[in-house]
Amino acid sequence: MLFALSPTQETTGYVAVATLLAIAGVFLLLPRPRGRFVPGGIALLIAAAAVFGTWLYRTFGQPMPDVIGSALFWLFSAGAVVFGTVLVTQRNPARGALAFAFVILSTCGLFLLLAATFLMAATIIIYAGAIVVTFLFVLMLSPSHAPTDENDRSREPLAGALAGFAFVGLVLLALFQTSLTNQRDHLLAQLVTPLEREKLAAAIAQLDAAEKALAGDTSTAVAREQRLAAFDAAFSPVRNALAEVVGVSSAEQIHSPQEGSLPQRLGRLGTVSGGPEKLFRADVAARQTLTQAATVRELLHRVPPTVEAIISMPAAGQPVDVATAQAEVRKLRDAVVLLHGAGLMPARNVANLGYGLYAEHLLAIELAGVLLLVATIGAVAISHRKREPLPTPDAKNAPAGVEGVQ
Amino acid sequence: MTITLWHFLAVATVLFGLGWVGFLTRRNLITMFLCAEMMLQGVAINFVAFAFYHGNLQGQAFVLFLLAVAACEAGIALALFVSLYRRQRSLDSSDWQHLREPGIPVAVDEEPLPAAPDERFPTLPPAGVRPASALGPEEVARV
Amino acid sequence: MSEPTSLALAILALPLAAAVLAWLSAANATTKKLAHLPLILACAAAAVLAVILLGQMLDGHESRYTSEPLTWFAAGQLDVHFTITVDALATVMLGMITFIATFIALFSSGYMHGDRGYARFFAVMSFFVFSMCGLVLANNFLLLVAFWEGVGLCSYLLVGYYFEKPSAAAAARKAFLVTRLGDTGFLLGIFLLWKMGGGHTDLDLLFAHIRDHPPDPGLLTTACLLLFCGAVGKSAQFPLYVWLPDAMEGPTPVSALIHAATMVTAGVYLLARCAPLFVLCPEAQIVVAGVGGITALLAAFLALGQTDLKRILAYSTVSQLGYMFMALGTGGAISPAFAVGAAMFHLFTHAFFKALLFLSAGSVMHAMGNVIDITRFSGLRKVLPITHLTFLCGAAALAGVPLLSGFWSKDLILESLTEASESASPYSAGYFVLFLNACLTAGLTAFYTFRAYFLTFWGPEKIPAEAGDHAHESPRSMTIPLMVLAVGAVFVGGVVQPFTHWFSDFLGTSPSLTETQAPIARAVEHHLNWTLISISASLAIAGIVLAYVLYRDGQEKPLGGIDTLLALSRNKLYVDEVYYALIVRPAEVLAFLVRVFDGFLDGLTRLVAAMPRLLAALIRPLQNGLVQFYALAMALGLTVFVAFVIFRMAR
Repeated sequence: MLFALSPTQETTGYVAVATLLAIAGVFLLLPRPRGRFVPGGIALLIAAAAVFGTWLYRTFGQPMPDVIGSALFWLFSAGAVVFGTVLVTQRNPARGALAFAFVILSTCGLFLLLAATFLMAATIIIYAGAIVVTFLFVLMLSPSHAPTDENDRSREPLAGALAGFAFVGLVLLALFQTSLTNQRDHLLAQLVTPLEREKLAAAIAQLDAAEKALAGDTSTAVAREQRLAAFDAAFSPVRNALAEVVGVSSAEQIHSPQEGSLPQRLGRLGTVSGGPEKLFRADVAARQTLTQAATVRELLHRVPPTVEAIISMPAAGQPVDVATAQAEVRKLRDAVVLLHGAGLMPARNVANLGYGLYAEHLLAIELAGVLLLVATIGAVAISHRKREPLPTPDAKNAPAGVEGVQ
Repeated sequence: MTITLWHFLAVATVLFGLGWVGFLTRRNLITMFLCAEMMLQGVAINFVAFAFYHGNLQGQAFVLFLLAVAACEAGIALALFVSLYRRQRSLDSSDWQHLREPGIPVAVDEEPLPAAPDERFPTLPPAGVRPASALGPEEVARV
Repeated sequence: MSEPTSLALAILALPLAAAVLAWLSAANATTKKLAHLPLILACAAAAVLAVILLGQMLDGHESRYTSEPLTWFAAGQLDVHFTITVDALATVMLGMITFIATFIALFSSGYMHGDRGYARFFAVMSFFVFSMCGLVLANNFLLLVAFWEGVGLCSYLLVGYYFEKPSAAAAARKAFLVTRLGDTGFLLGIFLLWKMGGGHTDLDLLFAHIRDHPPDPGLLTTACLLLFCGAVGKSAQFPLYVWLPDAMEGPTPVSALIHAATMVTAGVYLLARCAPLFVLCPEAQIVVAGVGGITALLAAFLALGQTDLKRILAYSTVSQLGYMFMALGTGGAISPAFAVGAAMFHLFTHAFFKALLFLSAGSVMHAMGNVIDITRFSGLRKVLPITHLTFLCGAAALAGVPLLSGFWSKDLILESLTEASESASPYSAGYFVLFLNACLTAGLTAFYTFRAYFLTFWGPEKIPAEAGDHAHESPRSMTIPLMVLAVGAVFVGGVVQPFTHWFSDFLGTSPSLTETQAPIARAVEHHLNWTLISISASLAIAGIVLAYVLYRDGQEKPLGGIDTLLALSRNKLYVDEVYYALIVRPAEVLAFLVRVFDGFLDGLTRLVAAMPRLLAALIRPLQNGLVQFYALAMALGLTVFVAFVIFRMAR
């Protein structure tokens, strides 16, 4: 930047500019009998989107660690925002409904990026049905092509755009403030940060290499020495990398697990949320992660001596049990893989979601079902056309005995 | 440093805000309804992003309930639109101002609507007769 | 045979059930015509039960039966019981009420025939009988007040029975409000007694407590006088008697039952019940007797000039009630059993002959097309032979013709007054004046009664146009009660009292009359005092003869010197006008001033109220009915709130 600004001032400037541009653009685009200027509005909105994207990129960095994920995120979020804008500013409600369909598709893409496969499918199915019905309504109720009050006028365009985008700007500011202050502790703490994850991934690769280094000729003592040397060469970066994450590097320190980024970060959660009996679900996950880290720590301490013992001092008259040593290394590798995946979405999304819903939210599920039933009945009752009472013949109205009396 | 949650939250906020603007300004009931649904989508992204961040499925379960509520809303809202349309033959939300204070005049739109586009559909001449304008001078002379 | 209290409760329940039945019968046009049946049957059954009760009391082992106290309501120290008591006093009253009510109900079924409010009439009458029986039986002051107000309510409803008529509505209002004046004193008296009586509200406990712990005499006198206020209102004594003549706007059976035989005697009954208190304060007693004397003479004088038959009877009732109070007032000077016995005996006989007179007057009205002015008809002897005879019986009894009921009871009152004037009471001279007053009243009574009789039934036959040309004797359902009551009016007095003293002796068994003895009371023997008998007989006959001389041709004629006096009487001594000028006028002026002030306050209030309205007019355009505008306002508000949170609170 040209001026020396604090991050907050910078963010405020970006957000304010983007908000003002968006207000002006949407104001120009909203349908009105006079004063609507579509190209200008689109230009302003593109500018707003550019400012917004720049801010997002500069402040929070790449959304995904990988290029493909990143590209998909930008694609889907741009799609959602662009088609959302089209829905808001489009004069023709049928086209608006179409734009809404694309908003839904983009949203579902974002869901997929967030590992919510079942929700992606469910949203498409449910909203596709709803959108088709809405299309039918639009075609049925707005047949005319002539300008109408509801399509070609807006209620308070400036004030409405101002209210909406001012709110958006304020929430973005709040997001920024939260991202500054509340990164480390609190319930929102990430179980395994991307940095740690990187280290763990490297460790996994090194462990694979170490396992491979064990295979080979072990018939002679020299060969065994070579094997061990290769193993040590592959294993020592693992030791350092894991020690940074889970905390232990030597035998004396195994009972004081206060170093390493994971225990330092997550170890405080129990005290923050008021002891083990009042754990939130996120804390349970944190606890499991800590346990996993402890396992890794223990294995890290145990594996190298075991492997050394197996390789260097084989039992008399027996070949060196390389397979057992490799199994030991693989055990450590598996533990590290588990730690690497801690906090990531489980693979069986549908099954786990269903289990969670029925195990923990059974009453809420039933209530939602009742709500749907009531809504169905209510919709039928509301839209039911009351039939006019049939005109009763006069003969039936007259009392039966009148003629006889007369 | 890479923190993915904020990106998703920012996008969700923008989507929510756009829906809000549409709900406040557009007058077609169906468009208003779609805008409200878009606000719900913003909220849903929020939930799912947090679920991913926490590494559990609570947020996704919430979104399922959100879907149920949205379905109820759609059913009731469309039924209401039908019955309202039956009364006024219009989907303009400003047609219903009956709940105002006594003595307050009805809000009327002052600017006139633009004229309807003059769409002339082509009319065909009677079958078997060549249109006069399409004839060249020599053919006219021949006839 | 069952418990006396159970019998009494049955007597109480019967008219209540009749009231409910009569009320329900109004739902249907067919059953509405039968609305009189519940009342007649209930009263007849109650009368039979009352006779059984009388038998039990006569050969009973105890002089008083009190029901188990049930808590009616309790608040702090106040614990009010629902208890009833049965003693000789109550039994006599019950028998009299139910017996007379039976025949009046029978009479009403003929008299009210075809009226629009038939069911309403009988429902309220039944409720009245219920309330009256409850009043007689109540053994608790607050319960007594409840029934006291119950009879007042029924009186209001029945006086205003023809509520379409403005005069009837006004009369009902007047009766209610004037009685209310007395009731205020009554309630204050009860509160005072509650304070003095050790927190008891039950009559027997209260009296026993006061007897054992004599309170300050001044305070007790005040309490007695306050109680007497209630009696003055209810029993139409001077100065609150003005409502009773106006109450004649009600149907005649109502006048007979409520305003002659039963309700107006409630005051007398109250004082008889509270005799244990009254005998302890001679000052209160002389006031009671004095007020009674003034009322008796005044009302008798007012009755002289009236031309409305029912009003004459009403004034006569007031006068006779004054007689009873005179007798009650002697209670401290002579033995209370004798004084109360005299008053109650007169009450008893008076109920018969006055009910008879009213019913006869009703019969006359019935035949004359609702005309009641005695100057507009005369010589009805031939037209209404039965009514003529029964009226004569009643009039003779009222006038005190020797050997008839009224003669004996009036004689007993005169005797109690002479005995009191010879007693050691400090007010014996006052009692003597009252005795002379009573003699004068007796003469006047005989005169005005027979004036009405001669003007109605003697002389040339004259029938008003309203009666049409078919003036005839009343139907059987009306004449039979007349005849029964006539027999009662003639004989009942002579049978129960003068030679056997049965009535006084029986009443004397009431514990409330025997337990408390005034310190200076003079014991009185029951004997036939020939001097008194001759005085009262000669007075009665003199009055009758004077009336015969003046009115035997059934016409009023100028009488020279006493015409102005009669005119004064006819105009009720201008008492209503005096009350109007002294009480109503100032109240109206005050009310006008208050209204002006109220208008000022109203203006002030409206001014205050106008301010928020002005402010509201400024922001009212916000409520324009546009849903999206409301949503916009909400969004802007939320935005401001979020901005506040972010820029202020987050720092």
